Amino acid sequence: MPEPILLAEGFGYRYPDAAAPVLRDISLAIEPGSFVVLAGESGSGKSTLLRAACGLVPHFHGGEASGRFEVAGMSLRDHGPRELARVCGTVFQDPETQVVMGGVRAEIALALEHRGEPLAAVARAVEEAALALGIAHLLDRRVDTLSGGELQRVALAAAVAHRPSLLLLDEPTSQLDPVAGDELLWLLRRLNEDFATTVVIAEHRLERCLSAADRVIALDRGRLACDAAPEDFLAWAVEERPALATPAARMFSLAGLRPLPASVKQARSRLEGAGLAPGGADGGPQGARPGRSRRRGGPPPAAELRGVWHELRSGGAVLRGVSLRLEAGERVALMGRNGAGKSTLLRHLKGLAEPTRGRIERAGEVALLLQTPGDYLVHERVDQEAGADALAAAGLEGRGGASPRDLSGGERQRLALEIVLAAGEPAVLCLDEPTRGMDRAWKSALAERLGRVAAAGSAVIVATHDSEFAARFADRVVLLGEGEVIADGTPAEVLSGGWYFATEVARVLGGAGGALTPEEGLEILGRELVR
Amino acid sequence: MSVVPVYRPRATPMHAARAGASGAFCASLALVALLYENPLVLGGALAATVVAAVGARAGRELARAAWVALPLALLIVAVNALVSQGGATVIARLGSFLGRRYDVTLEALAAGGAAALRIVALVAVCGLFSAAVDPDEIVRSLRRFGYRSALTAALACRLVPLLARDAARMSDAARCRPSPPGRVELVRAALGGALERSLDLAAALEVRGYAGARRPARTRRPWSRHDLAFLAAAAAIAALAIAARAAGAAGFAPYPTTSLDAGAAEAGLAAALALAAALPFAAPGARLGVARA
Repeated sequence: MPEPILLAEGFGYRYPDAAAPVLRDISLAIEPGSFVVLAGESGSGKSTLLRAACGLVPHFHGGEASGRFEVAGMSLRDHGPRELARVCGTVFQDPETQVVMGGVRAEIALALEHRGEPLAAVARAVEEAALALGIAHLLDRRVDTLSGGELQRVALAAAVAHRPSLLLLDEPTSQLDPVAGDELLWLLRRLNEDFATTVVIAEHRLERCLSAADRVIALDRGRLACDAAPEDFLAWAVEERPALATPAARMFSLAGLRPLPASVKQARSRLEGAGLAPGGADGGPQGARPGRSRRRGGPPPAAELRGVWHELRSGGAVLRGVSLRLEAGERVALMGRNGAGKSTLLRHLKGLAEPTRGRIERAGEVALLLQTPGDYLVHERVDQEAGADALAAAGLEGRGGASPRDLSGGERQRLALEIVLAAGEPAVLCLDEPTRGMDRAWKSALAERLGRVAAAGSAVIVATHDSEFAARFADRVVLLGEGEVIADGTPAEVLSGGWYFATEVARVLGGAGGALTPEEGLEILGRELVR
Repeated sequence: MSVVPVYRPRATPMHAARAGASGAFCASLALVALLYENPLVLGGALAATVVAAVGARAGRELARAAWVALPLALLIVAVNALVSQGGATVIARLGSFLGRRYDVTLEALAAGGAAALRIVALVAVCGLFSAAVDPDEIVRSLRRFGYRSALTAALACRLVPLLARDAARMSDAARCRPSPPGRVELVRAALGGALERSLDLAAALEVRGYAGARRPARTRRPWSRHDLAFLAAAAAIAALAIAARAAGAAGFAPYPTTSLDAGAAEAGLAAALALAAALPFAAPGARLGVARA
């Protein structure tokens, strides 16, 4: 049996000034060449474990570490990031904060140049990494001209250019649209299969990566809660931590089917094997007419865009004649790939941007929560940001004396939401990608809160890439493509027949019956059972 | 769009030349601006910079740099006119203030104008440098001498637009708050955000082996026709400027009455500067090997 590339025995860690350890008594061994997914809710210690594996914990962050932790035979006690960088490649969540150089070629070459590699070796490694990751065409581009997906691929190429045996990734797809996220995971799978790179990836959207995984390690409040193959992990999750189970696994569990599937392909073949494969939709998105007008002649809308264009001085247009009517109390998911115009549309609704053509009418105040909730937090104490009621609504009672920068991502977002809602119920509440990097529990809480805002009479529109969240939260889905509305309908109409913009349950069931959630999928399976 | 010109790879001879050569070319133009006060020669240096910027398809970037320089230039003219009391030709009497008489002289205006022209020429050269010289390549070449300093410079270059974007985002977020925060709070939050970003970048550098960084290997790259052309142009411009200076040509003395050498020699020098700057772009074969961009 080969020596483990990562070995922990009774490992614990406490950040400096933290009251409690963030990792406790972790014991695990990861074999070379494996593909490991780190699962766990926000704050469970996934990122800290990855930071320990690359030596940042405790050498960069400080704090107290206990127990044994070795990477490629190097003890964390004696070796820091400097030595571990030779065997580890690390990719963080936000590609913007890990790219150092101005050009792609220089960025990929940086780690090799740090090692003092000869120029020819650097040039060859850069070419090979770029070819392996399909970014050869980007080599002469400047990093500030790349999209988020391209930048994350460049960050990955920079991490693997020196051929590390261990690749660590901390939610690398959280900033990406479904297309770019799937492409990145495909590349990781290829690195793992073709080049035997050990991959350890922390991810919230497990349905994306379980199919590639050999093993799942789940953390719960800093402790190892489960260490098993994907199917066994799912069996554990549906019983112990339903928030970690994938939608397909939950549907199977609700239907009493075993074993639980780790991928859409497995789920389909198991349903076929059980004689439960429902007839799919007739291919393609169903009944989702672009730009359809709703309830004309009824009560006045909360807001209405009429032929709105956003044209750029440098050429091109971000929005192309978008017409959209938002009714009071409506819950709308605005979807589309990166650059489709979602954020720009929300900025127009708020009035942060003026249409170059077209008109926008608003029935009242528009509240907008932008992508980075931390930008709303400008004071030194949490209780200076919002009143006591708002803190209570954000679940932050008793945290008033804390610094906003010490709040977790989810807490920051809840507080920022209450800040924008502080002036009372707006006519329209807009949220831009509020589920990025959030676990399922946070998303459920957010959906509930938004449901309450809508019930009070506000139209709520959420720009999101997260089909599962859209299916739970929305009663209408608008799909943007190249600045135009290309589909507009109920979640069942828009999300059940697509490939990328579809929930996992819809993909498993082939869009049958417009089922999107595990509960809706169960109904469809129940009908098949009756037949 | 950034006010500071940003490097973009383009299919031009200047972009095709190695950063050392195109950087030396810019330095030679800056040398002219630093050596001379004579407006004719400064005009020649400015014209040479404009010619090079057009050749490097960086005219728009140069115009942006000029927008930065012009207010500064006007300020210099105004302040010099008020502060400098030299000069024999009084064109306006502004009266007395705190026991001191303020007169505006033609000579003070001329001296201010020359200083302003020098600033415009220098800012234009900096704009050309930012737009047409690859900063990564400059950093790489400097690493052999001061690795950490060079990398810090690279990081600073990378952080400036990032922090500008952060500030714009925070300003938008402030507009979305029902009661927008004051400037002090915003600046404090922006500084806090910048520190967070710096920590993230420091962590990213650590995991890429920065702490164990070694001096990079020496680069041996064949000299291209563009490298040689820009180095030759840089040498020619520097030689012309130094030789003319040593010969005492292109004098300029604003006080007490303005005296300006503006003969054939000065006109020839200005024209020669512009011509030398144009040659790397216009010489036979100047378009060969520049398609990669």
